[in-house]
Amino acid sequence: MELLILPLVFALISYFIPSKGVKYFGIIASLAIFAVTIGHLMNFDTKEYVSIFDPKTNLPFGLTFKLGYDSLSFILVLLVNSVVPLILLANFNKELAANKSFTALVFFMQMGLLGVFLAQDGMLFYIFWEITLIPIFLILYWFGEQNNNSVLLKFFIYTLLGSLGMLLSIIVLGISASSFDFVDMAIYGVIAPAKIACWVACGFLLAFAIKIPLFPFHTWQPSTYTTAPMAGTMLLSALMLKMALYGMIKWMIPLSFTGIPTIKWLVITLGLIGVVYGAVIAVKQTDIKKLFAYASISHVGLIAAGIMIYSTTAIEVAIIQMINHSIVAIGLFLAADIIESRTKTRELYALGGIAKLAPNFGFWFAALTFVSISVPFTAGFFGEFLLIKELFTAHWFAGFAAATTLVLGAVYMLRAYQLSMFGAPKLESFEDLKWNEILVFAILLAIAILIGLFPQCVIDFVKPSIEAIQELTAHDLKIIK
Amino acid sequence: MGQNILLLTLIALPLVGFIITGIFGKKLSKLVTVSIATLAVFSAFVCALMLFNMNNKVQYVHLFNVVHFEDFKLSANFQIDSLSIWMTLIITGVGTLIHLFSIGYMYHDKGIFKFFAYLNLFIFSMLLLVLGSNYFVLFFGWEGVGICSYLLIGFHYSDEEKGIENSVAARKAFIMNRIGDVGLLFALFMLLNTFGTLEYAGIAAKINELKLSGTSLPLVAISAITICLFVAATGKSAQIPLFTWLPDAMAGPTPVSALIHAATMVTAGIYLVVRSNFLFELAPATKDIILYIGLATSLIAAFIAMRQSDIKKVLAYSTVSQLGLMFVALGMGAYTVALFHVTTHAFFKALLFLGSGSVIHAMSDEQDIRKMGGLAKKIPITHLTFLIGTLAISGFPLLSGFYSKDEILAHALMESPVLYGVLMIAVTLTAIYMFRLYFLVFHGKFRGGNELESHIHESGATMTIPLIVLAILSVFGGILNLPGIFFHDYAHWFSHYLESTTAGLNEIETHHLESSKSIMLMVAASTIAIGIMIWAYINYAKNGKLAKEDSELNAWEKLSNKKLYIDEIYNFLFVKPLELISKLIYTYFDVLLLKNGVFAIAGLIEKTGNITRKWQSGFLSSYLFWMLLSIVGLITYYVIKIQFWNY
Repeated sequence: MELLILPLVFALISYFIPSKGVKYFGIIASLAIFAVTIGHLMNFDTKEYVSIFDPKTNLPFGLTFKLGYDSLSFILVLLVNSVVPLILLANFNKELAANKSFTALVFFMQMGLLGVFLAQDGMLFYIFWEITLIPIFLILYWFGEQNNNSVLLKFFIYTLLGSLGMLLSIIVLGISASSFDFVDMAIYGVIAPAKIACWVACGFLLAFAIKIPLFPFHTWQPSTYTTAPMAGTMLLSALMLKMALYGMIKWMIPLSFTGIPTIKWLVITLGLIGVVYGAVIAVKQTDIKKLFAYASISHVGLIAAGIMIYSTTAIEVAIIQMINHSIVAIGLFLAADIIESRTKTRELYALGGIAKLAPNFGFWFAALTFVSISVPFTAGFFGEFLLIKELFTAHWFAGFAAATTLVLGAVYMLRAYQLSMFGAPKLESFEDLKWNEILVFAILLAIAILIGLFPQCVIDFVKPSIEAIQELTAHDLKIIK
Repeated sequence: MGQNILLLTLIALPLVGFIITGIFGKKLSKLVTVSIATLAVFSAFVCALMLFNMNNKVQYVHLFNVVHFEDFKLSANFQIDSLSIWMTLIITGVGTLIHLFSIGYMYHDKGIFKFFAYLNLFIFSMLLLVLGSNYFVLFFGWEGVGICSYLLIGFHYSDEEKGIENSVAARKAFIMNRIGDVGLLFALFMLLNTFGTLEYAGIAAKINELKLSGTSLPLVAISAITICLFVAATGKSAQIPLFTWLPDAMAGPTPVSALIHAATMVTAGIYLVVRSNFLFELAPATKDIILYIGLATSLIAAFIAMRQSDIKKVLAYSTVSQLGLMFVALGMGAYTVALFHVTTHAFFKALLFLGSGSVIHAMSDEQDIRKMGGLAKKIPITHLTFLIGTLAISGFPLLSGFYSKDEILAHALMESPVLYGVLMIAVTLTAIYMFRLYFLVFHGKFRGGNELESHIHESGATMTIPLIVLAILSVFGGILNLPGIFFHDYAHWFSHYLESTTAGLNEIETHHLESSKSIMLMVAASTIAIGIMIWAYINYAKNGKLAKEDSELNAWEKLSNKKLYIDEIYNFLFVKPLELISKLIYTYFDVLLLKNGVFAIAGLIEKTGNITRKWQSGFLSSYLFWMLLSIVGLITYYVIKIQFWNY
């Protein structure tokens, strides 16, 4: 339970810390949460389900308020709790780091995210899902670019609308199963009539498609990513959209299992259109942040399409790729912010020759660029290789569409890197990396390489829970037949 | 020391070299850094030699499973057999010489430590590529060499004048390679789905099993697999249609061109086909495609090389053309012959590139042959070695290129006389452009102006020693695979060596021509080589004919000089449309339609709100009015309904 309470407590405490110390407090507190997570990890057997909150009394409407984790939930908890310190660290030398409300909101956000991943109750899942919207909205509103109200409003209404679809689905399932417990709902999901299940799946899909975002629900994303402060963009891309991908694996597919075959290829098609669409648009973008935003659409489209294949392999690999996407997102948006804050521009054609002025930045940005185009020895190499393989096995054309990301990804990433970093310097000076920035890049690269060398660790870790979820659906189907 | 440990040491050495030079290179002194990098590769070469001596059977080394799922696994496995050891010898041997050369060539460069780190990383990736025992490790190395190639082509990225140009060339190479990689990726997927494994030996065993049990082979799948493999090979080995990156890749420092774009990486495609020979033998249609693509590439590239004025571009197109010849050999099923040409080509093309590097070094970075001339006396060692390289590539009798080309021609004659005839055209063109290059650079008068002339100097020992060693190899390399007419007992050593212990390489047979025909072919080839040499001597050295300026070229020369406008065509067909589509769908679809569409929906809701809002005006009279109007309306509705419909 301390996993959930600690961030909340830290969020409150940060209001009582003097402004000078707030950034140190942020780092230390987030590391403390990380340490607690590691403590959990030490005592964790991947085959188990660990309950951290279970009132066990009969609540009205079949609510259970169960919280707990299996290995799938836990790897995302681990992701959240390692990414938050990184985001704070990346932000460490900026003005924003000394802001109390900002630090509090980040912890509040962390609490919401953890809740989403820990919830074993449909209604609770929905509540935490919506809670995360509050801090991120405030972060974007208070600390984002000026005059971004219309962008924010669009983001807010868009995601809220999506969540309504999910709420309806959860209510339908909860009432039909007369319980909001995940297991009960899943058991109902298997026997649900295909027609209802299909509507339920669509309800979930609306929420997830907007959050991921899938083509054509992505229009809020580029403008939100560009006007948000760096930490906000990182939270959105590295963590928030993982809620949706996780939701697909854990909630949408098992709970509406009989309806999935109907929408499977629709989602895969949308995902793959996103892969090509995002990449093609990124090819000619001149705003570096926007370019990365469209690249992100391309990357997550691939993950979403892979998840819909719903083979054990595809999901295991999708999780590797989710982690990889977090690494890439933080790294690239940090790089974009470094460029923006030091040159006051995001226009690629106004940049150039930075590698010569700031060799350290040149190196680390290059390293992250290579991670993002999935070179060998990085996590993305296996992620992309195996996701494309699963798609290819399902249908060769799906594999082909997915494989365009290999080529187009290289096109837009190398273009972005070369236009900004290579050639003759157009600026007089460019301040090289600060220690905290180097540290963030180094940690990201280290994780990418570790997973790139030993992807089996991640696969073995999540395997039991994915098999358990799949058994839940497969097993019951047999009984009915 | 066991073979396993030796093999792992061999692979690890360049990696260690990369890590040390990459991390500490900046702090260490230049000499230490370059020595560490060079020693790492040299030690790897020694290991390879030891393995070569020990090797008498195929040996597998299992390192670890990278990933394993229920239905398949990807493992880091390596294998020692004659093919992989032979490639290793070329890579580390030529690699060592080029490292040595780079010490002199790059000594004054500020980023020299980075350069050597990349070179080491390249050697490591290349070793993974050839030593892996499955397609997965091969793919790993395949991608790795692509990245190193990218890094090294764009090495001088911050150059004031050429920085952007260099990095664009690097990007082009990487992207075109990536297109090929997609082919390899698909081949891998299909192999996994058809055979359930990526191990060479495993696939070969499965095929044998199917053959023995009498079940029909999945020939369609195998054809598709081989075509995808060949697509990959066209990317790495610069064949039509993916060859235009290689000439641009000459933007990289010259040692890089010698190592990556002549001797080793570009032959990876040939290695891939040889390694998969048991698959290609089952797909005759693919072999025909390879044959014709190879032939077309070799002709087109040779044609373009005729009127290039950049010394490195001539050599680059020559490389493309020679690679085409190797693919012709592969298309005929003459796998050992192709590898033999890979070997001799590695010697003489590395020699020529390094020689050109030495020339460029002497010329203070001038690469235009129109500004050179009469360098023979000024840089004698470079001149002599370059001459040997030219003679070897043109097929001058008894030099290495003579034997390896002769083998290809002999096989072509066995296949069909027409093929032989077309190949002879390519071979003739090779001799013409190479002697043109040689005479224009080393003979006649110096055309670069007095100031440049005073700077010309022979390169130092680290640069000339590799030249000399490579020259010796270029002369005697042919001994490896002497044709039967010379010493019958020792002839075709190389073919037999490869035949003896290569895993999965069970389809290779050595064909022999009758000795009378064989002699006839040799005479024909020698006549052409010598004839052209004399013609070129008279033309360029005696009569002092010079390379024309761009404006003086006539129609065919212009076509050759402009590379058949292929870059422009590709630009028009692929690059421009992609950019256009990108812009169009961004402005018209993403922003105009989708983004504004969402706003429009929001706006619609707002508008309906505005309209309905007006009703809540707060005036009692207004409400009364609407109420009365509604009542009247309702009554009229019912009256009409009863009157006309329900009656």
